[in-house]
Amino acid sequence: MTSPAEADTEVVPPARRPRPRRGVSLRDAGPPIALVVLFGVFAALSPGFRTVSNVQNVLDAAAVLAVVACGISFVLMTGSIDLSAPGIMGASAITVALLVANNRNDNDLGLVGIVVAVGLAAALGCLSGLALVLLKVPSFMATLGVSAVGLGVATLLFAGVQPNVTDPLLEGWAVERFAGLAHLTWIALACVLVAWAVQRYTRLGRYAFAIGGAEEVLALSGVRVAPYKVAVFTLAGAFYGLAGVMVTSQLGAGLVQAGKGYDFAAITAAVVGGTLLTGGRGGILHSTVGVLLVTVLTNGLVQVGVSPYWQGGVQGLIVVAAVAAAVIPQRRRNQVTK
Amino acid sequence: MKFTSRPTAAALGVALAAAVLTGCTETAAGGGAAGGGEAAAACDPADVQLVGQVRNESNPYEASWLDGGDAFAEQVGLTQERLTYDGDSTRQQEQISQLLAGDTECLVLNVLPNGDSDTPPIVEGAQAAGAYLVTQWNKPADLDVTEYDHWLSHITYDGVASGKQIGDALAEAIGGSGGIVALQGILDTGAAKDRFAGLEESLAANPDVELLDDQTANFSRAEALEVTKTLLTKHGDDIKGIWAANDDMALGALEALQQAGRDDVAVVGIDAVPDALTAIEDGTMTATVSSDGPWQGGIGLAIGYCVATGELAAEDIADEDRAWFAEQFLIRQDNVADFVSPETSAEDFACDNLFSRSQGAIS
Repeated sequence: MTSPAEADTEVVPPARRPRPRRGVSLRDAGPPIALVVLFGVFAALSPGFRTVSNVQNVLDAAAVLAVVACGISFVLMTGSIDLSAPGIMGASAITVALLVANNRNDNDLGLVGIVVAVGLAAALGCLSGLALVLLKVPSFMATLGVSAVGLGVATLLFAGVQPNVTDPLLEGWAVERFAGLAHLTWIALACVLVAWAVQRYTRLGRYAFAIGGAEEVLALSGVRVAPYKVAVFTLAGAFYGLAGVMVTSQLGAGLVQAGKGYDFAAITAAVVGGTLLTGGRGGILHSTVGVLLVTVLTNGLVQVGVSPYWQGGVQGLIVVAAVAAAVIPQRRRNQVTK
Repeated sequence: MKFTSRPTAAALGVALAAAVLTGCTETAAGGGAAGGGEAAAACDPADVQLVGQVRNESNPYEASWLDGGDAFAEQVGLTQERLTYDGDSTRQQEQISQLLAGDTECLVLNVLPNGDSDTPPIVEGAQAAGAYLVTQWNKPADLDVTEYDHWLSHITYDGVASGKQIGDALAEAIGGSGGIVALQGILDTGAAKDRFAGLEESLAANPDVELLDDQTANFSRAEALEVTKTLLTKHGDDIKGIWAANDDMALGALEALQQAGRDDVAVVGIDAVPDALTAIEDGTMTATVSSDGPWQGGIGLAIGYCVATGELAAEDIADEDRAWFAEQFLIRQDNVADFVSPETSAEDFACDNLFSRSQGAIS
């Protein structure tokens, strides 16, 4: 460590980032503990909550949000924000509903239709990324604009008549079960694993972290940051697209509003799970814990029998408490979040 | 707000420009036609300019509303200008002021205000410009239609009555006894409150029907799906029926039932959206209530048209017909066929028959 030559060679390959182990365990423990506590409290309060079928229900309910959260986590890691989920999901939902067997036209593309919808979503995500790096539009505005574009595309395709899906593959995703969980839930699990692998083992994932942590340092060390940013938004778009397809499968119809509210729900889940909006911290597994936390909360409040008039407020308070719990260990390490 | 970023401005601009351009051309065309005749008291029927304004056409109900307006316009040999504002109050006001800035002498507006608070500026604007206005659904309770002579009528529906109608239909479908759950709308809206009050009335009349749980799904199909799944795991086989404050939530509940493999639960909703009618035809859904969107789209224009052309004098409209509840229809499997492709009938829009569907003045 003392030799300057040695220090230089350490800076050049950014692959092995210094990651203090003790800090990680301390910082990351908050959200899972909150999840366990929340689960325990609801299980103690409500016999209905602690049944196997309800646990399955919670996992099924978390599926779509988990996929959206996978996408948004990559963007948050880079320190950008992404509000394009509602538009991209709407466009993908309508597209897939019109391409697989449906009541509007004679298309029956099956899996190809799903791939096309996800491809369109990825293209919209790419558009956000290009606006960000080429035109220097702040990600907040770029993604808001792309969301409007997505909703516009969806409304045009919608053309006043709701496409209902009759495709057995897509319908089966929501209805058929494997090992007690709907196929959608397994798809979501696969997404989480793939996203985690991308984050952990690919250059894209590592650079996403590095961009969020210290973009200037990365740029100064000779890395061309822009393509990776575009790639991150494209990947996020693909995840939203798949989420839109999943919503379509669940509802049996393509809705323009398929992604309504998922932008902030996913950001909430990511932040509750310990992914920071400032970038460079957290990740897929954190966000997944956050998704479970939020879903357990929604489900638990109904199971416990909290009046619907109280639920919104109670939910908000618990989310703030959970974020606070997640932030406390960081504060100990003097990592104050803005 | 300042848009320093060109592409964002462009992205938003494209959408706005498209909307504005369509608006401009149509207004210009309509204005040109209206510029011709200048009768002092009454307009030449050919000079009347008809405008229907709703939130968006991606909502089947509101699209059918505008179709009904077109049907009436065709009946009198005119065309309706179709306006949508995407549920954006600001855009609605802009469209209205743009219209009122043009030739307003023979302008007839049939408007769905975005919310209660959006109605007063529209009313004041129409009154000042001398355009004939009919509003539907939303109006502040203390705003009195009879204080204005160009705001001809306000039409709405009794949510308590519809909530009770489907509540009773549900009770009947489950044999008069058993557990039900309720999916409420957005809790701070009048529609959600009234409809739920109607359910409570129905429950009082059917003492053996037990309300096991009530939750909100915010009028949303996706939220209803999740909430219903949770309620099904919570109450299991005790649930015999699901009362939903609108059809979108009823359809979400039906998906949840299908995914849970339950086909023994009766589901009711309100609004008569096309998918709900299909479900009623199939027998998977029990009942819904229709406000008859095409009629709504036509009647507002018809009232304005009759007054504008002098066939009906504004002062001759009875006070009880200035703000009134219109008739709504309970749809079940036996009569669903009549509502699958709703059509307006010309006699509903005849100048001497405009208020035949009144269920009484809004108290």
